[in-house]
Amino acid sequence: MNRLKALWPAWRREQEREMREELESLTALAGRKELGNLTLALEDVRAAWGWTWLDSLFADVRYSIRTLRRQPAFVSIAVLSLALAIGANSAMFSFADAMLLRPLPIKNPAAVFDVSSATPDNPIDGMSFPDYRDLRNKGRSFSGLAAYRLTSLGVSANPAAPAQIRFADLVSDNFFSVVGVTPALGRAFLPEEATRSSQPVAMVSYEFWRQNYAGELSVVGSHLRLNGMVFTVIGVTPESFTGLDRFVRPSIFVPLAMGQTLDGAAADPLEERGSHDLIVKGRLSAGASKESAQAELSTIAAALEREYGKTNRNRRLAVRTELERRILESPQLLALTKMLMGLVALILIIACSNVANLLLARARARSREIAIRMSIGAARSRVVRQLMTESLLVAMAGCIAGLLVAYGGILLLQTLSVPSDPPFVLGVQMDWRVAEFSLVVALGSCLFFGLAPAWQTARADFVSALKAGGDGASGQGRTFGRDVLVMGQIALAMVVLIAAGMFLAGFRNMLALPAEFRTDHLISMDTAPAVLHYSPEQTKAFYRRLVNSVQSMPGVAAVAMTESLPLSPSQTVVSVVPEGYQFPKGHEKTTEFGAAVDAGYFNIMHVEITRGRAFTDHDRAGSRLVAIVNQEFAKTYWPNQEPIGKRIRLDSADGPAAEIVGVAKTGHYLAVNEAPAPFVYLPYQQNPRQRMTLVVQSMGDAGLIAKPLRDAVGSIDGNVPVFNLRTVATLYESRVTDTWLQFFQMVGTMGFIGLALATTGLYGLISYTVSRRVKEFGIRVAVGAKRRDVVWLVERRGLILAGLGIAIGGALSMAAAPILAADFPGLGVSSPAVYVLVPLALLMVSAIASYVPARRAAGLDPLRALRNE
Amino acid sequence: MDLLQGTLDMLVLRTLAAGALHGYGIAKAIRSTSNDALDIEFGSLYPALKRLETKGWIASGWETSEHNRRAKFYRLTARGRKQLVREHSKWADFVSAVGRIMGPFPEVKG
Repeated sequence: MNRLKALWPAWRREQEREMREELESLTALAGRKELGNLTLALEDVRAAWGWTWLDSLFADVRYSIRTLRRQPAFVSIAVLSLALAIGANSAMFSFADAMLLRPLPIKNPAAVFDVSSATPDNPIDGMSFPDYRDLRNKGRSFSGLAAYRLTSLGVSANPAAPAQIRFADLVSDNFFSVVGVTPALGRAFLPEEATRSSQPVAMVSYEFWRQNYAGELSVVGSHLRLNGMVFTVIGVTPESFTGLDRFVRPSIFVPLAMGQTLDGAAADPLEERGSHDLIVKGRLSAGASKESAQAELSTIAAALEREYGKTNRNRRLAVRTELERRILESPQLLALTKMLMGLVALILIIACSNVANLLLARARARSREIAIRMSIGAARSRVVRQLMTESLLVAMAGCIAGLLVAYGGILLLQTLSVPSDPPFVLGVQMDWRVAEFSLVVALGSCLFFGLAPAWQTARADFVSALKAGGDGASGQGRTFGRDVLVMGQIALAMVVLIAAGMFLAGFRNMLALPAEFRTDHLISMDTAPAVLHYSPEQTKAFYRRLVNSVQSMPGVAAVAMTESLPLSPSQTVVSVVPEGYQFPKGHEKTTEFGAAVDAGYFNIMHVEITRGRAFTDHDRAGSRLVAIVNQEFAKTYWPNQEPIGKRIRLDSADGPAAEIVGVAKTGHYLAVNEAPAPFVYLPYQQNPRQRMTLVVQSMGDAGLIAKPLRDAVGSIDGNVPVFNLRTVATLYESRVTDTWLQFFQMVGTMGFIGLALATTGLYGLISYTVSRRVKEFGIRVAVGAKRRDVVWLVERRGLILAGLGIAIGGALSMAAAPILAADFPGLGVSSPAVYVLVPLALLMVSAIASYVPARRAAGLDPLRALRNE
Repeated sequence: MDLLQGTLDMLVLRTLAAGALHGYGIAKAIRSTSNDALDIEFGSLYPALKRLETKGWIASGWETSEHNRRAKFYRLTARGRKQLVREHSKWADFVSAVGRIMGPFPEVKG
């Protein structure tokens, strides 16, 4: 502490002044002689404060700045290399942060853990409210357990406006106190507001408040309609709190008890132990650890399983960090993040090798200076420290410039989007975490590129360095370390380029891939009559009227309905038990992608029925229950059997049985590059849903019927929210083409940076060798060597280095490619053209990079070359 | 007379236990209390004062001295007093241990 204080210049000045004053006053009292050697006394005091250490540090920095200013070329190449690499790393970090790493936006997030009700089928299944209540009463490991569930509500801030669909969190009464978030305005929920009978109250998010109330303070106490019900706004959450889910920012918060009324559900979901839809976060009590909490919760889970065998069989309670949960939620994001971070790490190594190479080249040039310093008594460690200070300054400059590069990269990443209404937020942003990461990367790379050259420089034999009069003898043997660095750079650049090539190939494959469904002349529209408390019967009637009215609209060729559209970011799932399938122990059912569709769906979307039949209008409520599965489903659950005529039970083993009447071609459901996934189609008439997507085939431009469609809904009920109104082609492009193009651009840019850095490294090394061998070349030319021979001599060296680098890089790529391809099913797997083109490109660039110095060598005037030496 | 390592700190603390003094006053007090046996130069005392201040065992402040002159006075803090108690008992142990070994001066026979 005191030592830190002593670093503060103002504090030092103040101390100096105090001490001088004190000594003067004492001199006046006692006389100078009496007091002894005061200068020495002051020096002793300063030394105790770390004065000298600090002084020498400042001296180092001043000296380094002077040295660096004399070498603008070295500094600019080094800083530029580092800036590109650090910038790429920081931009990728911001991506990784947004995807996985960023802590929850709450107070002390490290003490908050996710508690889920894990089953063998779903390790992050939600918790039921009765389980949550028992856990809250019995558990001692957590000082507070907050529960919530994310939903979307029809929201209208004023009675005149039509409802908008917004994300909302239904939260437990203690939610805000557990996460430690204080409302920016108004108050949070009270325990008595957690019951169904209490007044309906809601909190709104900061963003929603700014947008819909223009930040007016009068929002507190005002009224808001949620799914048609009037709620009183009691508070506004702070700007920093964006909810506990990634990618989703809830606008509204209401007590969990309101869920039943908001959904218009017949039974209270809070009393159903089988309804697993709560996400629970717990803040550890003082003294508890994750392990002790897990141990306690396992006991509680076992007790619950004994008591409620029906609902809690095979259910345990899992305590996890937020990161662990996110990885379980989205393993593919972990794979993507790891790959991108890995690639930028390679770029960083290439850049650091560049700087190390430059430093090594400089080391020889500076050997005389170092030798003089050491011969007049500088300790070796002191010289190393001086050289490291220079490296540190370069690294810091690289860090600052790198942040600018990162900012550019982040702007590019921010154009990534997921088409959705209400919007998903990826949250890639420039913030302090990115800045801190850049700093750590800069310091780390400083050690990497600075330490070895500094040590080698200081190890130089100073007697011979002084004798040799500056440059020492020429020779090839001494660049071995640098040769290895350059080969490594080329090898790594090759790996990054091959990866970029794989992305390009993947991208091209994707464009060539059939969509497996029709995308042209189609427009889709989501509606949610349920938010207005339509009964199931009213909802059915609403959709019947809507389909009829749209069918008769001019320009409409056909209409169909589905619960979810292929490639839309929100896919629906169904739980089924396929007849005759033996589940592994502990598993009882499977949850697969699935949707309720009407009879016209297969036809309008061009989803091919390979066996059996599509749904017809005869598959209606009351008739025999039927279902259609895709080929992948049939292959997974009934391998080598006839699927037609088999039955699946819906929801659970006790659920109704539906007979398979058809098999549909396997398509793409969430992403074009996904592994083939099982899918279950159910007839809408037998499985009516509260929210359906209308798919309309137009005769002309699909976009032109957007407004008539909206009006059609309005003419039935103006309060029904309409969202995700867009052409299927737009959805397809943004889900398939855009995202992949952006990833290809990202990886491609990395490849380009890697190539540029490696080329700079090679060029630097070759020109250095040429400058070392000026005398030799002069003699060669003087005794009659042709220019061509000299050019070849130099060129050969560059090509050998490049060739070796390419060979190593090829081997590395061969090893890395299957790993990449395994994580990304859509990547173009080792297309041979990539393996030919990348080495060729590298060789060509290397040839050019060595040709420039080779020309210079060949152009030497022998007389001047010899005299120079 | 040379001082044992660390003894100077203890002497300063002990001297200040009697009351606040300025730097030169401490040096004088040690000299006179030891009947001039310990003549500590102010120059060596001063770094020790600053060290003790950093450790928080003594604190300083400007006051007016006996001759109506401003000077910086040092006094013992609560932590310094505790430290003095510790050092004092250590010192007492040390003296008695050394005393037991040395005993009364043996008579030289012969």
